[in-house]
Amino acid sequence: MNDSSKLPPNPLPEVSRRGFLGSLTASLALLGTEGCRRATEKVVPYQSVPEQVIPGQAMHFATVYARRGDAVGLVVESHEGRPTKIEGNPLHPSSLGAVDAITQASVLDLYDPERTPSPLRAGAKSTWDAFAAELDARLSKHATDLGATLRVLATPTNSPTVQRLRAAFGRRFPAARVHTYAPVDAANVHAGSTLALGRAMQPLLAFDQAKVILSLDSDFLQTEPGNVRAHRSFSVGRAVTSPQSSMSRLYVVEPGWSTTGLAADHRLPLPAGRVPAYAAALAAELARLGLPLGAVGDAAATVKATGAFEPRWIQAVAKDLLRGGKSSVLVVGTRQPAIVHALACAVNRALGSEGPVVSYVDAFDPSEAKAADLASLVSAIGAGKVETLLLLGGNPVYDAPADLHVQETLSKVQLTAHLAGFVDETSAGCVWHLPMTHELEAWGDQRALDGTVALQQPLIAPLFGGKSELEIWASLAGEKDARPYDLVRATSRAPLLLESGLTSSGDGKDGKIDCTDALGVHVQYPVLGFEHDWKKALRDGVLAAAKVGAPVLDPGAALALRAPDIAAELAKTELAAPPTRERLEVAFTVDAKMLDGRHANNTWLQELADPITKITWDNAGLVSPKTASELGIETGDVIKLSRGDRSVTIAAYVLPGTADGTVILPLGWGRTQAGRIGNRRGFDVFPLRTTDAMGFAGGVSATRTGERYEFARTQQSDSMEGRPLVREATLEEYRQKPHFAELEVAPRRSLPLWTDVDYSKGHQWGMTIDLNACTGCSACVVACQAENNIPVVGKEEVAKGRDMQWLRIDRYFEGEAEEPRALVQPMACVQCEEAPCENVCPVAALEHSAEGLSEITYNRCIGTRYCANNCPYKVRRFNFLNWHNDGVWNETGGLPETLQMQQNPNVTVRFRGVIEKCSYCVQRIQSHRLATKREGRDLRDGDIVTACQQTCPADAIVFGDLNDLGSQVSKLAMGDRRYGLLQELGIKPRTTFLAKIQNPNPEMA
Amino acid sequence: MQFFSRRANLFPLVLAVGGISLCVFAVAMVWYYFGPQFTQVGYSPKQPIVYSHRVHARNLGLDCRYCHANVEVSSVASVPPMQTCMNCHSVVAASSLKLAPLRDAWESGARVEWTRVNKLPDYVYFDHSVHLGAGVGCVECHGRIDEMDQVEQMKPLSMGWCLECHRDVRANQGASRFLRPVSEVTNMGWKRTSSEPLVLPRPLNPAENCSACHR
Repeated sequence: MNDSSKLPPNPLPEVSRRGFLGSLTASLALLGTEGCRRATEKVVPYQSVPEQVIPGQAMHFATVYARRGDAVGLVVESHEGRPTKIEGNPLHPSSLGAVDAITQASVLDLYDPERTPSPLRAGAKSTWDAFAAELDARLSKHATDLGATLRVLATPTNSPTVQRLRAAFGRRFPAARVHTYAPVDAANVHAGSTLALGRAMQPLLAFDQAKVILSLDSDFLQTEPGNVRAHRSFSVGRAVTSPQSSMSRLYVVEPGWSTTGLAADHRLPLPAGRVPAYAAALAAELARLGLPLGAVGDAAATVKATGAFEPRWIQAVAKDLLRGGKSSVLVVGTRQPAIVHALACAVNRALGSEGPVVSYVDAFDPSEAKAADLASLVSAIGAGKVETLLLLGGNPVYDAPADLHVQETLSKVQLTAHLAGFVDETSAGCVWHLPMTHELEAWGDQRALDGTVALQQPLIAPLFGGKSELEIWASLAGEKDARPYDLVRATSRAPLLLESGLTSSGDGKDGKIDCTDALGVHVQYPVLGFEHDWKKALRDGVLAAAKVGAPVLDPGAALALRAPDIAAELAKTELAAPPTRERLEVAFTVDAKMLDGRHANNTWLQELADPITKITWDNAGLVSPKTASELGIETGDVIKLSRGDRSVTIAAYVLPGTADGTVILPLGWGRTQAGRIGNRRGFDVFPLRTTDAMGFAGGVSATRTGERYEFARTQQSDSMEGRPLVREATLEEYRQKPHFAELEVAPRRSLPLWTDVDYSKGHQWGMTIDLNACTGCSACVVACQAENNIPVVGKEEVAKGRDMQWLRIDRYFEGEAEEPRALVQPMACVQCEEAPCENVCPVAALEHSAEGLSEITYNRCIGTRYCANNCPYKVRRFNFLNWHNDGVWNETGGLPETLQMQQNPNVTVRFRGVIEKCSYCVQRIQSHRLATKREGRDLRDGDIVTACQQTCPADAIVFGDLNDLGSQVSKLAMGDRRYGLLQELGIKPRTTFLAKIQNPNPEMA
Repeated sequence: MQFFSRRANLFPLVLAVGGISLCVFAVAMVWYYFGPQFTQVGYSPKQPIVYSHRVHARNLGLDCRYCHANVEVSSVASVPPMQTCMNCHSVVAASSLKLAPLRDAWESGARVEWTRVNKLPDYVYFDHSVHLGAGVGCVECHGRIDEMDQVEQMKPLSMGWCLECHRDVRANQGASRFLRPVSEVTNMGWKRTSSEPLVLPRPLNPAENCSACHR
């Protein structure tokens, strides 16, 4: 199928020859008159300058972004009131200065021109006052029935203030109920810990302390809660600084490739439904080898599973886990059923890794997000028990289990109101649509996975006049007139006082707060002191000492393991048989870009290549080569997947390394009401997802529909074709030969076209990229896009190879087709000292600076593209069209005005016909150089941080001065693992790579 | 049979000489008349509020930085907010007719759209603060603003003109004719009195590479 309706429209308008000549003549004539008079440019000063604003200088504010049960602290850059760029907050434990791709891209959601500008009632424009009046009338009616017919459907919250207001709402309407639902939740994790430990808890892992890690279907580096935090500690545990270093070993058992799978030393593709059987078999083997698992081990040994596992994946892995002892850990993905989580809990306890590696923290919202909770709401509506339903966030019509028929159910409620950023699938089915604020527009507070509370402060007044979830809760709780600022401040009062060792005991008066200190003595704390504490907390972004539910650091002593319960549950668990050609398994996967579909209208994420498949603007049903040949399908065939009377169609993509018999279905695509960008991109797989199969489902049949579908990928070949692009060795080989990465080929001496340049003085900028740390998560690609005003081109143009991202991540497969290994390599301009591109520029638009930067001057470029042809790395990008104007938005008058607000004022917005490429963030180099000149000092190592380096959760990228022998980059660039990609060409690249080190288990060979 | 007279032998010579002079003339004309020295210098648009730098900066002796307050810390000198005007004009000349547009805008909250005079292209990233810190006076680029009733562009602001100063300072350091003590940068009438080079706290290293200004 070559369905052009799925492609974005051709940005070039159809023009006749006469029309073309006509406009050519007209523009020539206009050009003549244009030159006669200088264009006037207006300057509009402030009436009075807002406090602290200095025009021309960026400001930075700390805030926080909630994400799947975790909260990531942010520092957001703002130019004259416009938030432009998101960075991580180094003080926040879930960020430590880094963020992931989705968080980077969320700044674009703020400016999305398709956000709704006013409340809508039955699709017609209305006002907040009208809604407030209707809600008040409803609530006073509900006051008589205590809220028995009043329901709220919310998304799980991390916010202490929202929880406080929810409790107040519960007191006001004792009979009302709050349901929570999210399409991807932690229900299995909580059920598993309830089974094993008696409490709904979330494990918190210190991967830096682990030596042997076994991931059972857990993508802890990318899509699981707490991914940035896990990424950072994982990369610490994998860091190799010298041949004496040790590193952790990662085993991954998963149905389809994840970012975590990419980083694995050993990876077993296994259908998701077979993972419980694998976990039981492994536990039995561990018990046989002497691990004190007690009743759990006995139960595991008696479990009958059809189909065997490769012996090495049981025996060698079990032995390795035992050798690691206290440093060995099992991590389980949220998709896996509770019993696997409980088993992992028992194994971790027996291994002794609870404490050193695993701690537990109480679930913030234990009732959180169960499909069953939504099901109970649906049945209540069916029974006519609901008259008023408020939906706060979420998009259940699109993402609820298909067997609940939410869309049909909503129409049975008299009054429905949906708070959402866009008129989405759910809003379309509700009476009221209420525009919701973006995270950067609202006050709030968010609790991170480890209990740390961070304050969310707005950087901009609501652009589209929305309200936050917190404000709606306030009006439901009877605090309609309270300002969100005051509500958050009131919640933070007790924890802030606690930081000073005080407990509030009253409101106090005369500028004093009544408190008691640790010894119970009455203290009057000055309000001014509290004001100071509050401002510091706002500036830092975190309430330093405040934790809502601190982690249980020594679970072994604090929480008894309920081994008999686990054993009993294990004994009655039915283990799935291996999938067959007729009875396939489908595994629903949280998408690395769309998450659950909420980011569908984000152009950066749409255009970001999937970390594994490198597909842009689409998802695909991923199948292994063996399964594909059994089914007689190949990449691009549209298949129909049927399970009972439910079915979806999706284009197949054959991906080596997928478990045989499994079709991987990424969630979050195929939206119908996401907006102009996100509508009908990819394939919606939610219709196959039901309450009894939220993670994966068996018994699925696949048939070809006969249609074909084209994917737009950023990479055309999966193989390195035998060239040493990504160089790697095992830890053993590295220890024996530390300089393995340097090829024994002398660089070709290029002809002396000119005298050698002396680079021994001044700053000489360089970069190292550690392939051992890089996991291909793609956060850097979006960070670069945000920093450098890189346009988006759309699916059709990506398919033509016209993608514009300066930084790409190449992904190669190595080894056998049945058991491939994947390698990733970030690739941007390497700033060659003998740059081949510069030699061929006919107009001197490309010059080399004395500090070793390969510079491009856009206004000189005439677009011959000679440089791109002569670049051996293919990192130069050409503006075939004026993408900002004629790109995916394709509006007359250029890029929508709100999106222009995102752009970095320190980087030129490039026009049609010029070449561009990575500049080492020269605007950052320049601004720090000027700042140090103002301060009268020299640049120090670490002053200048490139956008990609700043956001990298694995610290893989290091930038700095190669002439400064003390700098981190010069130490790494002279280290043993360094190599210059294609340096044999004699072009002296300034970016060098550090070779990858694998840590395989010799017994797995 | 001769079609051409003998004098026609001169024709190629005249053609060559004439052609070359015409080309030289054309190049010279374009060189001058298409250059910023001709097209930009002298630009002096009418502004929405009659504001005289002569009155404020020279007669009253206000320092440039009273209004252009961020010029030492930011890339832009910034047109002052109306608040700065009203600091004085709520009491000084509070009923002047000339100030009516200012008062109206201040009271109504309307925008006042000034016309930019000294303008660089969008692809040029210029920073005021480092130039001031290096001892480049306002007058070097803006001329005698303190003698203008209506601001006028005095310098071509072309790349060659920028580089002239950058190269001179790199070569001559403290002896460069473009530099003055940092304390005198806003002193419009400052004249160098001694022939001694300035003592610089650190060697100046003005950029000559493209990405210093274009990025």
